Amino acid sequence: MKTDTTLPPRLEPALGALLYHGTILASAVIALGLALAVGLGAAGMRVAAFGIVLFILLPVLRVGAMLIFFLRAGEYKFGAIAALVMSIILLSFFLGAR
Amino acid sequence: MHGGLELWLFAVALGTSMLGGLLGMASGIFIVPVLTMFGRIDLHTAIGASLISVIACSCASAAPFLKDGLTNIRLAILLETATTFGALCGVFLAGLIPTQYLFFIFALILLLSAQQMVARRKELPRASDRDIGYSAERMPLGMTLMYGAGLISALLGIGSGVLKIPAMDTALRLPIKVSSATSNFMIGVTAAASAGAYFARGDILTSVAAPIALGSVLGAVLGARILMKLHSDKLRMMFVCILVILSAQMMLAAFGINLVERAP
Repeated sequence: MKTDTTLPPRLEPALGALLYHGTILASAVIALGLALAVGLGAAGMRVAAFGIVLFILLPVLRVGAMLIFFLRAGEYKFGAIAALVMSIILLSFFLGAR
Repeated sequence: MHGGLELWLFAVALGTSMLGGLLGMASGIFIVPVLTMFGRIDLHTAIGASLISVIACSCASAAPFLKDGLTNIRLAILLETATTFGALCGVFLAGLIPTQYLFFIFALILLLSAQQMVARRKELPRASDRDIGYSAERMPLGMTLMYGAGLISALLGIGSGVLKIPAMDTALRLPIKVSSATSNFMIGVTAAASAGAYFARGDILTSVAAPIALGSVLGAVLGARILMKLHSDKLRMMFVCILVILSAQMMLAAFGINLVERAP
């Protein structure tokens, strides 16, 4: 298969690795929390809640990674688009909290 | 804390995420009806947990598509402006729309999914896997459908493949493999935009969402491995029936009738 040579460092595999390892980490934290909850109750549940927060942040981190990549690669149009997506997400977080 | 409920939630997420992987849809469309009808879980709690499941499925299954170069990340980030904006609006509407109406909308989306499954997706002329013209004149229609997909996703806690797939296949004329991979990639961000708001509001209960998340990751991984080749027409028709039945149940729930006695 021919590889795309227009972009020297390929972003796709890096994003794949981020999502893959992030999923493992978040799942492990949730599993740990649920296991602790059996013995400790509420304290374990707080650990599991942290794992859930990790899951929510994972796609946001992915947008952040794309933003940095596009800016570094000089693709300012896509950098601006990524920044817009990031601001909409953050806006949703802050407005939703109220 | 009772281990029984957690195990049941884990099993539901595992099963629905495997189904989702097989059918190319997110698990949310099954999780919310099952939790509300069989688990007697509050609709908003079910939606919050389902959003976590959607994120987990999307993240867990994204890597292979990205490695194979099937995901069009530039198109994805462009369309995500519409889906996340839709999600932002959905978060607000969710607080205003009465629960019965949400059940009703959900029933309609289930019917739409059933219809889509009967019709099947067909490869439209044009477009090889590599060279993807964005067909700019159709972009406004694509963006509008994506906005709707984001809105429905935030409102009902589903991935909204039902709206994304016509947007990608018909409006943007993408090859099926590319549109599936790109849609899966976008679903996580869209769900995260609303899940963050739900979490801040306290609508995501850890005791419900945690076992669901674990089951979803496992289901998505297993589903992709085992079920890749299972595509018989009989199976499809069975799922169409399930979707129609769930839709009928949600419709009844919209009018305050629940036929199922609590199971777990």
